[in-house]
Amino acid sequence: MTAIVIENVKKSFGDAHILKSVSLEIKHQEFTVLLGPSGCGKSTLLRIIAGLESQDTGSIKIGDRIVSHLPPKARNVAMVFQNYAVFPHMTVFENIAFGLRMKKASEEKVKANVEKFASLMHIDHLLQRYSGQLSGGQRQRVAVARALAVEPDVLLMDEPLSNLDALLRLQMRAELKSVLAASKTTTVYVTHDQVEAMSLADRIAVMNAGRIDQYDLPDEIYTNPATEYVGSFIGNPPMNFISPEFQIGDVPAGATQLGIRPEDFSVSTIAQENYWPIKVLTKERLGSHQQLSAELNGQLFRVNIANEIDVESGNTLYLQPKDDKKRWYTESGKIIL
Amino acid sequence: MSQLEQDALFEKEMLAANKRKKAWRWLFISGTAFMVSWIVFPIYLLVVSALSSAEVVNGWPKAFVPEFDMETMAFFMNYYGVLDALKNSLIAAVFTMVISIGLGTPAGYALARFEFRGKNTFRLLILLTRAFPMPLLALPLAVIFINIGLDDTLFGLSLVHAALALPFAVLITSSLFMGIPVELEEAAWVLGCNRWQAFVKVVMPLALPGLTASAVFAFVISWNEVFAAAVLTINNQTLTAFLVQSLSSSPAEVKFAGGLILIVPAILFLFVVRKYLFSMWGIANR
Repeated sequence: MTAIVIENVKKSFGDAHILKSVSLEIKHQEFTVLLGPSGCGKSTLLRIIAGLESQDTGSIKIGDRIVSHLPPKARNVAMVFQNYAVFPHMTVFENIAFGLRMKKASEEKVKANVEKFASLMHIDHLLQRYSGQLSGGQRQRVAVARALAVEPDVLLMDEPLSNLDALLRLQMRAELKSVLAASKTTTVYVTHDQVEAMSLADRIAVMNAGRIDQYDLPDEIYTNPATEYVGSFIGNPPMNFISPEFQIGDVPAGATQLGIRPEDFSVSTIAQENYWPIKVLTKERLGSHQQLSAELNGQLFRVNIANEIDVESGNTLYLQPKDDKKRWYTESGKIIL
Repeated sequence: MSQLEQDALFEKEMLAANKRKKAWRWLFISGTAFMVSWIVFPIYLLVVSALSSAEVVNGWPKAFVPEFDMETMAFFMNYYGVLDALKNSLIAAVFTMVISIGLGTPAGYALARFEFRGKNTFRLLILLTRAFPMPLLALPLAVIFINIGLDDTLFGLSLVHAALALPFAVLITSSLFMGIPVELEEAAWVLGCNRWQAFVKVVMPLALPGLTASAVFAFVISWNEVFAAAVLTINNQTLTAFLVQSLSSSPAEVKFAGGLILIVPAILFLFVVRKYLFSMWGIANR
């Protein structure tokens, strides 16, 4: 069952083509993350789904309804903003009740829902406070409770954690995950943080300059990046892309680049047949493993190796990409399956 | 240079710096005192004279403590036409306030929230209405008003006063609305409001202190305006126009009483908007 169907949506602001024909089908009750660098159009896409921005062409369907030209209030969506947008002149209670009041819900329903979602977000002791008396994390909780309280068809979140400090962000991330999993609300979540995306998402849409490069399960995105761009955006350090002159063994027709993750090399300290002799440039010990950057004839390699391997910068190390981890890319950066 | 010499030099410099600091402090305090008395002293004299009997006002030496003799005030308030003029002033000022807030708020909102062609020109044109002095405009306006039958009406006068107050209303409200994050409105839209409902439920309450201040400001502009009022009204004179024409030959103590009645709203205004202005200027309010 699909909850949201986005078809050929385009959007330009003047000469800037922010979205270049985006299509996406989001399944019911799934948590989808729109991931990409700033300026890739992910927030614009979210705002188009909400109705805060109108698409130039294309259509948006939520459930069975085409909502392309409906105002935000008619779409039965809820949104959480980066700066929380908690109404400063209302108490926490009134904030959470706002959407229900607008939908003319009965007073019992309002009270019941406010209490339910306030306790879900652990802010039931703050109901009579104003937003000026709350911390950033608490405001964030109010914003989420307010969005969930209207029981929307779709919950939209625009970088909701990016204004929190690092520790709080981790905590809220875990909490959001469990709350949203329990509420089973279809969610579209915008972020530029790949770790956030990997840990929260059922499915990730990686966006690149107004297009969706890949829409897939997080593991698939990591192991089989559909484009060179996805491979180099996801993963820290990113995937290695190695040019044809280094290739050993069979190269599929049309392939110009070998993509290989830093941890997917066979490593040896002594010379072996069909191994690349790379020169180690830097070494960082990260506790669980060591991270190297190395070079061979102008090609940069990023390699993660086990702690036991004794190597210093300036040494030569012998590498071979593991056969089952090799991914091949065409000239234009598309994966060859 | 030995350590001892260095220490002595340092000591000397510190002393000099302290002295400079003290001098600055004195300059600051006396400057402030001067400016405050520049404003307060005439008002004080006005109050003393308005609340004293005619003999004291015209006699010598001058009194510095008001006798609270209400005779002059009573005489002034009973003077033929004063109460009517006071009423007219109030009506014109309220009209002005309503017109300039009613038109200025939507214009300010549009300037704050929408991108439209000619936005900057519009901003400039608003200010341009203040570029022509009232004496230049008064005569043509009087002719037009006579032609369309608006002469000698408070509504007509309010239109002129509103033209004076509108630039401020538009610019003040637009900066107010700019200070309210657009996400608050967007959140309201998503939660079920249309544009108007979001404005009433979210933007208005947040802008209310500022809207009040700019309303009162429009009120005071109309209340204080004398030139247009004197030219455009004959029978329905406002207090300022009345005072200019009727009191020029009155005794001093009655002039003082009129002056006191005129400045009271302005002073009340300052106290009403004080807190808001302070927060607008970034001075912590106590």
